[in-house]
Amino acid sequence: MSNFTQPPDEGFEESQRASEMNVAKVHGSILREQAEPRDGYEPVPLWLITVFFCIMFWAGLYLALMSGGFRADVYNPNLVAWQGGGAAADAGPPDPMVIGKRVFTQNCVVCHQTTGLGVAGQFPPLVGSEWVVGGDWVGDNHLVKILLAGLQGQVQVKGNNYNNAMPPWNQLKDEQIAAVLTYIRAEWGNAAPPITAEFVKKIRDETASRTEPWTQNDLKAIPAEQIPAGGATPATPDPAAAAAPAPAA
Amino acid sequence: MNKLPLIFLGVFLTFASSWVGLVAYPYFTLGRMQPLPDEDTGGYFPPAMSGLAVAGQRAYAANGCVYCHSQQVRLAPLSTDIQKGLGPRQTVARDYIRAQPAFLGTMRTGPDLSNIGARQPDPNWHHKHLYEPQTVTDWSIMPSFRYLYKMQQIEGQPSDDAVQGLTGPHAPPPGFEVVPTDEADELVAYLLSLKRNFPLPESPEPKLE
Amino acid sequence: MKSQSLISSFHPANEPDTLDSAERAQIDASTRGPVLLFFGSAIFWLLIGSLLGLISAWKMTHPSFLDGSAWLTFGRLRPAHLNAVIYGWASAAGIGVGIWLMARLCRVVLMHSKLLISAAIFWNLGVLVGILGILAGDSRSIEWLEFPGYATPILFISYAFIGIWTIIMFRFRKPGHVYVSQWYLFAAFLWFPWLYATANILLIWQPVQGSAQAAINWWFAHNVLGLWFTPIGLASAYYMIPKVIGRPIHSYYLSILGFWSLALFYSWNGMHHLIGGPFPAWMVSASVVASVMMFIPVVTVAINHHMTMRGNFGALKWSPTLRFTVFGAMTYTLVSLQGTSMAIPSWNTFIHFTDHTIGHAHLGLYGFFSMMMFGAMYYIVPRLVGWEWPSATMIRWHFWLAAIGISIMVIALTLGGILQGFAFYDPAVSFRTSLDLATPFRIVRGLSGFLLLAAHIVFAILFTQMLLKLGQPKDGPALFAKPSETDKEVAAV
Repeated sequence: MSNFTQPPDEGFEESQRASEMNVAKVHGSILREQAEPRDGYEPVPLWLITVFFCIMFWAGLYLALMSGGFRADVYNPNLVAWQGGGAAADAGPPDPMVIGKRVFTQNCVVCHQTTGLGVAGQFPPLVGSEWVVGGDWVGDNHLVKILLAGLQGQVQVKGNNYNNAMPPWNQLKDEQIAAVLTYIRAEWGNAAPPITAEFVKKIRDETASRTEPWTQNDLKAIPAEQIPAGGATPATPDPAAAAAPAPAA
Repeated sequence: MNKLPLIFLGVFLTFASSWVGLVAYPYFTLGRMQPLPDEDTGGYFPPAMSGLAVAGQRAYAANGCVYCHSQQVRLAPLSTDIQKGLGPRQTVARDYIRAQPAFLGTMRTGPDLSNIGARQPDPNWHHKHLYEPQTVTDWSIMPSFRYLYKMQQIEGQPSDDAVQGLTGPHAPPPGFEVVPTDEADELVAYLLSLKRNFPLPESPEPKLE
Repeated sequence: MKSQSLISSFHPANEPDTLDSAERAQIDASTRGPVLLFFGSAIFWLLIGSLLGLISAWKMTHPSFLDGSAWLTFGRLRPAHLNAVIYGWASAAGIGVGIWLMARLCRVVLMHSKLLISAAIFWNLGVLVGILGILAGDSRSIEWLEFPGYATPILFISYAFIGIWTIIMFRFRKPGHVYVSQWYLFAAFLWFPWLYATANILLIWQPVQGSAQAAINWWFAHNVLGLWFTPIGLASAYYMIPKVIGRPIHSYYLSILGFWSLALFYSWNGMHHLIGGPFPAWMVSASVVASVMMFIPVVTVAINHHMTMRGNFGALKWSPTLRFTVFGAMTYTLVSLQGTSMAIPSWNTFIHFTDHTIGHAHLGLYGFFSMMMFGAMYYIVPRLVGWEWPSATMIRWHFWLAAIGISIMVIALTLGGILQGFAFYDPAVSFRTSLDLATPFRIVRGLSGFLLLAAHIVFAILFTQMLLKLGQPKDGPALFAKPSETDKEVAAV
């Protein structure tokens, strides 16, 4: 009994005509065919279902543990931030050497170079410089003051003369000035103690009225101050100050 | 029994689930991210791209750079990208806000380029490298992009933007110079803009060892 | 003349909904124009795509080969190869096979063949414009979606015709049992336009901000593989295997489990291309989980096919259709399990960004899908042109050149990729070393490309002979060997 569907008339005539020509000689390839495919009804093996559920269990665990709390701002799958606070709060206090190096690269290398060697006759070196690591009359406060107000006029660095103008960097935050000074004092073989953000704040408050860049003579007239021992480690900076409003989730 | 509506519904819903999770969700969250203000300079993270660099993305796309070069820095322990110096931190969605399109890439036939602008800040290096990569790195398998350059006779003074220091089989003979076309300038401007070394709160810099 | 096996009469649910030869002949004759047009286009693009791939492979190991010109630069040839084989060969072959399967399974004569013929013409036009656009420098460099914005609408028009036709066929099908192949085809033909439209709108016509693009890109690209090519390939396997050996599919229930678990899990896999990438951790983890869950549909289908074939593996000795189809089906299992392993982050660490991924892609698209399509075409074409394949020897050459070619390619890229990946991971190892490790394997890959191109040239010659009815008229099918007495009535090819 044919169970062949009659399609509607439109579009049927053309295909009917074409196929009528071929129906007369049904080719051997069609004659020898088996029946159209059909289904058997064997049951699903039990072991497959068991494996299925085991995988689902693993999947649930994995999703729960490796999804960063399903937050939009957690990119590290090993960070389970269920308490909120996002990536920044869980990361720990930022490393001043890392921040300092970045500040240095973005602002200082233009003159002092990535190597810290400066340019002969033009920009003084920082490597082994008494201005950076201390010595003679130079104190930690002088270093911070230079960053805050700038330096101009004749200066001697490591026995050489320079006469240029260093701009002020008081637009940088206390943490950034502290970090970059910490960086230059510990890089390229320099070994001097870090500068703290509190110290920078103290000097900034004291010299708030100073707008003119310093000269070497000005600075020599000010007695040297070192950071008090024990105050070397910077306190954890407030996450809110570390740059941005929390991104929209 | 007409199973067709059931099949249709199932086919629709299963697909819709991934459409919601992997298309709609990124569209509304990642797709609407804003750059963060940089208090130091009054600019933004990521910084704005120059017009030349924006145009350079077209050259990057047209010449298929993405098929050999990735632009993604990944975290440890999944990778040693940061340890190898590909970047100071993991690249995150906000790094690609200005990318059209985002050339993340899936192959490292050549090195990752996320921070190539920081590693190679000299435009002439890039021009030399694009013109004949093997003269800069003799083991390189990068093809030559000398079709982005013009060889021309020096008239009077050499051009300011002639590529310096070319060697190799396609170096200009005496009296000639190689000058970048606009497309080459745009491409190099784009490459120089590739720096993801600014801070982002959602991607903390891992401590140095 | 009815051919109804004894077994089907024992299963009440399995109503004798088979066709007689006259009906088959009528259906086949009605599908002839569109299907042969899609097949011919597909084979054309297969040749072009193979050539583009071969040149690209050699450029990678010999960068000065054909360099210095914009149209032939690697960065344009490589996406031209990809799009030619995906949209030109694989999609066109899949559409052709899908049309024929749909007509046979819906048991209805194909209507509105002019619609499909227009679709084929537009499809070819779109692919041509797209490939030329890429070579001319308008590639979008969005993987699997490189066609410039002026080419994709042409493909859309084509697809609109195909979509309309699909709905009509289903509407007018013979009511009754909807066979598993029909579910897969119906789903594939519905999913593809949704995928393609979403991707084109959000990445090309009204691009979303860069920060979201890669997620949508890889959702699209993976789903072209999983929700367009895989269902068509499986639909073909589910038809050809039981058809050739004359046995029912082992388990209807496994078919259901396989289909729905594929539908649910496959579409979430996309982010496994971006493990470690700039996306919230949960998106990547969801894809890792979905990739592992794919074990279920893959093993389910493998069991179903294997148990159907059990006791009939002897047919592989003589049936070209079955040999290509079973090669494809077994490769499907292999490549999917490989894919699951590649999505586990601790292994992904060593294979991401390497040639291993390329090997996997070729194993899937060629070892599974293309071989499956070859098998289907070997079955379908004689029934459309009324001529038998002129040379079993040439079919044998096609099979072995292709099988050996793809095996060499995949093994080389897989091993080379692993070595590359370990080198990438070690910070003390230079980039140059990782490159030197990969190079010999890339050369072997380049050599395998010659085998594949040769296989396709053989196939193209065979197809041309069929269209022109060249060669001696044959009484019986072109088979690899004579079936033994215990084998069933010869049914294949």
